[in-house]
Amino acid sequence: MSELSTEPIRGWRLWHVRLHGDEHRLESFTMHHVSWPARSRFEASCPVHRGGAPVDGHECGIYAFRTRALAEELLRRYTGVRHCYGREYKELPPVRQGRPIALGSVSLWGRILVRERGFRAQYAYPYELFLIGGDDQIARELRGRYAVDVFCI
Amino acid sequence: MDIGVPETEREIEIAPLEEPVPGPAPVEAPVGEPVPA
Repeated sequence: MSELSTEPIRGWRLWHVRLHGDEHRLESFTMHHVSWPARSRFEASCPVHRGGAPVDGHECGIYAFRTRALAEELLRRYTGVRHCYGREYKELPPVRQGRPIALGSVSLWGRILVRERGFRAQYAYPYELFLIGGDDQIARELRGRYAVDVFCI
Repeated sequence: MDIGVPETEREIEIAPLEEPVPGPAPVEAPVGEPVPA
């Protein structure tokens, strides 16, 4: 039997920020062309289990890390910038021009499968975003669309 | 995303009293034709 709580979990993750028509939207970092809806929850789906995601023993669900540091580590791996003159790169790495990325916290609820470094969740919505490689205009657009705080870094 | 090994997985259920999703965007009132004084 699973534990029951009323307080959403706060995780950390990355999103691509891509144009859909003339609108910038958050897109899944690992699943291509999966756009996160604005002002409504994002619901996990699975080609095998349909609406049943996340499923025990499978890899479906909405992923998030426990900490910001783990999300930053993924960004360093993704950009390939992990070391600088022999020392470990601690800063946020630069991203490709015109390919902004959002690092942010995300509220998770519904059925959640918890591991030692993160979560697979049934429902999610962004909580706060830090835009990397974007500009004030994109940040303003995302702020208005998703109704969450967006900071340019 | 490497969130850890599946063997460590345990399940929890979060049922928030209110979903942490903002309400719909306010509808902007249409700008009417200027009315002559």
